[in-house]
Amino acid sequence: MKNKETTNCKDIRGRLNKIISCYLSFDAAWVQNHIVNCPKCQKRFSSVGRVYLALSLLKSRPHQLDLLRQANIQTIDTLAHSVRQHHKADKLKIARPEPKFIERLSPLKGSLANTAACIVILFLARMGIFNSMEKFQADSQKAIEHYYEKQVGQELSDEIFSTRLSSPKSI
Amino acid sequence: MISKAESYRLLWDFALPAESLTASGKWVLGAMQSEGPELITMLWRILGNEQDVCDAYQDTFLHLAHCENGIRPRNIKAYLFRSASNTAISILRRRLIEQKNLPDVAAAAKTETTADDLDSRRLQLQLRYNVAKLPQYLRDVITLHDLAEFPYARVAKILSITETSARVYRHKAIQLLAVWMNKEE
Repeated sequence: MKNKETTNCKDIRGRLNKIISCYLSFDAAWVQNHIVNCPKCQKRFSSVGRVYLALSLLKSRPHQLDLLRQANIQTIDTLAHSVRQHHKADKLKIARPEPKFIERLSPLKGSLANTAACIVILFLARMGIFNSMEKFQADSQKAIEHYYEKQVGQELSDEIFSTRLSSPKSI
Repeated sequence: MISKAESYRLLWDFALPAESLTASGKWVLGAMQSEGPELITMLWRILGNEQDVCDAYQDTFLHLAHCENGIRPRNIKAYLFRSASNTAISILRRRLIEQKNLPDVAAAAKTETTADDLDSRRLQLQLRYNVAKLPQYLRDVITLHDLAEFPYARVAKILSITETSARVYRHKAIQLLAVWMNKEE
């Protein structure tokens, strides 16, 4: 009961957030209409836009590839002799920025999902789920045959099921 | 810079016992390996100058190594990023003072840039110096969320505030920056 209430609360909060963000965002029609007719808001909007533009300019300017190496060398040189001699220090002196593991995997996303699906199917087959499904199908067919035998007689039932087995597409 | 590096090296070699240095050195190197790339990106965005980035990076790790007599802080990441941000901002303020005191040097630096990217550089400079002027609680959120590109949850954890506070501070910071940049215009 408590779990259900919590789920409801979550749903409602989620919906409310969506509605509020739709209604109160800069893209909302009433906000846009106001901005078009209000010079003060236009000024405010453009100055906030300038900040975002400057931020994106800062982010888009890349640094030199060996900046990390330079900084590591400079820093390690100021550390104690014993630390400078450590094998990690040697690695750091030639380090270069590399994309994160998840970023490196992103181009392989589709093929990874397919492989995972194949593994799941193989796992299900290994567990015998497909075999038991076939067994269940055969059992239910037998039960239906038995029912027909009782209702319409042996001959007619044999005729129906033999026809069905010989030409399954026609049924 | 070289003399500064040499003096630090001497300090490290003779001021502390060798055992504690080896023990502290390992985790400092570990932190450098794991947080280095992200730290460099953040410092580059704050400072925009390679030599300054290297200096701030060096100072940050020296602070970390000397922190509480070489005892490893509980949250290394938080310590590193806050310390790096503060160091970078103080370097930025020093540059601003230098530019005010030496207008000829600043003018010479301006003429080196081409006309095409002059506007974008000016805009970036304006933003950097205005970020340096922000109160610390707003500046920390802007540097961590916008320059280091950490999500709000991580920013909140580093600064020991709630996620909502981080969002509010960021909004306030953007509003302040907009007003200041508009005035300068």
